[in-house]
Amino acid sequence: MNNTITKKLKHVERQGIPLIRCLTQCEKNEVLLVDSVNSGGNAKNRLANLGIIPGSKIIKKKIAPLKGPLEIEIKGSKLIIGRGLASKILVKCPKKCQSEI
Amino acid sequence: MKKHKRKHRFKEQFKGCKKKQETKDGRIINIALAGNPNVGKSVIFNQLTGLSQTIGNWPGKTVERMEGHLNFLGHYINIVDLPGIYSLSTYSLEEIVSREYIVSDEVDIIINVVDATNLERNLFLTFQLLELRIPIIIAINQMDILRKRNIELNFEKFEEIFKVPVIPVVAVHGVGVHQLLEEVIELIYHQEFHPHRQEHKTKHWREHQHSFNMKSIYHQLESKTSFKDIYKFPDLSSLLLFGKEIEYKINDLWKQLDNRFINPNQYSYPSRFLALKILENDNEIIKILSKKKENIKIIESAEKFRKELEDYHGEDISTILSSEIYQNINRVLDDLIIIKSKNEIKKETITDILDHITTHSIFGYIILIFVLIGIYLFTFTIGDFLKGLSEDLYNNLSNNIDTDTNLSKILWEGAMGGFFGAVGGVLVYVIPFFLIIEILQDSGYLPRAAFLLDKFMHFLGVHGKTIIPMILGFGCNVPACAGCRIMETEREKKISVALTSLIPCAATMTVVMGLVGRYLGFNYVLILFGINFIVILIVGRILNRIMPGECTELIMEMHEYRAPNTNVIMKQTWIRSKEFIFKSLPIIVIIGILMEVMYIFNALDPVNLVLSPITVLCLGLPAVTGVFLIYGILRKELTVVLLGGLAESMGLVSILELLTPIQMFTFSLVTMLYIPCFATIIIIAKQTNWKYAIQISLMEIFIAILIGSLINWGYYLFTI
Repeated sequence: MNNTITKKLKHVERQGIPLIRCLTQCEKNEVLLVDSVNSGGNAKNRLANLGIIPGSKIIKKKIAPLKGPLEIEIKGSKLIIGRGLASKILVKCPKKCQSEI
Repeated sequence: MKKHKRKHRFKEQFKGCKKKQETKDGRIINIALAGNPNVGKSVIFNQLTGLSQTIGNWPGKTVERMEGHLNFLGHYINIVDLPGIYSLSTYSLEEIVSREYIVSDEVDIIINVVDATNLERNLFLTFQLLELRIPIIIAINQMDILRKRNIELNFEKFEEIFKVPVIPVVAVHGVGVHQLLEEVIELIYHQEFHPHRQEHKTKHWREHQHSFNMKSIYHQLESKTSFKDIYKFPDLSSLLLFGKEIEYKINDLWKQLDNRFINPNQYSYPSRFLALKILENDNEIIKILSKKKENIKIIESAEKFRKELEDYHGEDISTILSSEIYQNINRVLDDLIIIKSKNEIKKETITDILDHITTHSIFGYIILIFVLIGIYLFTFTIGDFLKGLSEDLYNNLSNNIDTDTNLSKILWEGAMGGFFGAVGGVLVYVIPFFLIIEILQDSGYLPRAAFLLDKFMHFLGVHGKTIIPMILGFGCNVPACAGCRIMETEREKKISVALTSLIPCAATMTVVMGLVGRYLGFNYVLILFGINFIVILIVGRILNRIMPGECTELIMEMHEYRAPNTNVIMKQTWIRSKEFIFKSLPIIVIIGILMEVMYIFNALDPVNLVLSPITVLCLGLPAVTGVFLIYGILRKELTVVLLGGLAESMGLVSILELLTPIQMFTFSLVTMLYIPCFATIIIIAKQTNWKYAIQISLMEIFIAILIGSLINWGYYLFTI
């Protein structure tokens, strides 16, 4: 477990930009991969059932006004996720864009 | 004649709604429809069952149960439409209810409805259903949309991999729906699934089905509890295989479970499913198992395994298992999908534009307001028209009837007056309201409202989903409070019910518009609404504070807009109205008659005296209003109707001579807030419990008296 974290950190240092961000920070319509979901039990379970699992493609589609919930696209379906929960979903760039940097 | 007789017997059989129903011609086949929300499950259900549907609740749960039956080529089929679910875990009550029902003896076959345009996510549930080892037919819906995108599915391959019948369906046009039933009969006849029979059976099914000797099968079935006991479930171990390290652990637990029981079926779940769920730390399953001492060892070893797996993967167990299932799905998906041409049509469709506007940061809110006004206008225009008709009918009838004697007065004015009051006052608004709500629900607008207002709803201690019952509340609080069942946790359900019961419904609007709107002007109506809104805010804040637990986050699917299906809407509206007519209306009519009778004999006059400290002292209203407010508990608009009647009987030109403007304002405000109507209180009690329903009622009475007194005394002091 520790090993993977240090690996990730090294990766981040090499690129000079944060490769792992939370979903609320990234741009609209950016194609990203889910890195991990850091919320507790039930919500995490539900998100996993809906396909938000490490490695799946995720696109942020819309943001509700006044810092409201996000609309994301995952596995071909659109989901609305409350902002608090969305900020616990960590995402990373897919490999393609990593090599571009 | 014979047919008629049989039908009658069939109906009788259904009346009891027993676990195992038999007729002389054969046993009833029980089908459960399972699938994700919004995949067209209810459309298929409607296509299959027509109007022979009943809505009820699952025993002891607040989850809605839709049931219907049909006669298909002499076979009696009973269909239960399960609530839409994404998986068989225990995240929501719907999932627990569905899972328990599917493994119960009441189900012979599951029809799993799958959305073709979103196979990956939909198959997640299918994979879990396959683990339950129950006869299953997969219906792939919305094939027309998929074909428009130049994608086709390889159904032969599908059947080969899944080893169950897979039927393409276009539910809205009824394509393939019939074939689903044929497949059910065929599956029961053969007791197992043979692939590669597709062509031969679709062409000549009708001819050779008569040779099916179903009687022997039915006879065999009668000795068993369910069809699944004699069905030879195919070996799907290669399809459902998890990663090696997980599979090893599941097998270990499985063996431990099987060794324990002489009868491995005693929990009705298959042992492998049990093992999987223990490993997944599924509360419900563990609760069932831990009732027996010898199982505790298994649970302990599962805990150990779980820890090992979590350490190894660096993820929690639900994520690991979900990933594994999705991996399995992706492995087979490539074989199933045939992309005909790569240039996918990608232009902005009308639904995209609509979606964009309705979730826009400015236009979205404007449209939301228009939708709310639209609900009012629609319900009122149609409701008022129907109300006029029912009043005309009543008046015409009254003219011809002599109401001099006391008995005829009771019978006519009491019974018929009460009946027409209930029909003309409630029913005429409820039906158009159900209609507009069905349209809104079917078109897919409501999730957009939740999206726009989630932030605001968090302020009240609930998430955006609550806006759905609250919007319904503008029409009628009764179905709205029933709609609060969609909330996931008890805490959210309680807060939503309380807030929804404070929304001014169509009946309340009649009072406000009829008094304040008519005599004082529209500005004051807006002030009343403002006060109501602030009350909702404050109540929400307070409940958010005092309720234990935390506000959960919104997770909701935003499906695409679609043209509402007239057929489904009409049927749903009728079925919901029917439910209201037969279940709620009688109570309202009976109480209406009682009140009407008491009114005729002035039996409620002492009430005025008892209530006068509140009505006269606190609220500054005439003492007669006390009894009106009591009637208002039954139906809020009665307060203004009775007030008008009183003014008329006193020979006054308008209510203005009876009430001063400030009295009118207070009276409307109190009517708006003071208590949820009788039917709503019953629904609240059903959704939560009686204690909570009474608490809410008392709270609202307190709020109404408090604000009413403040306004009355404030005005009084101010003018002096």
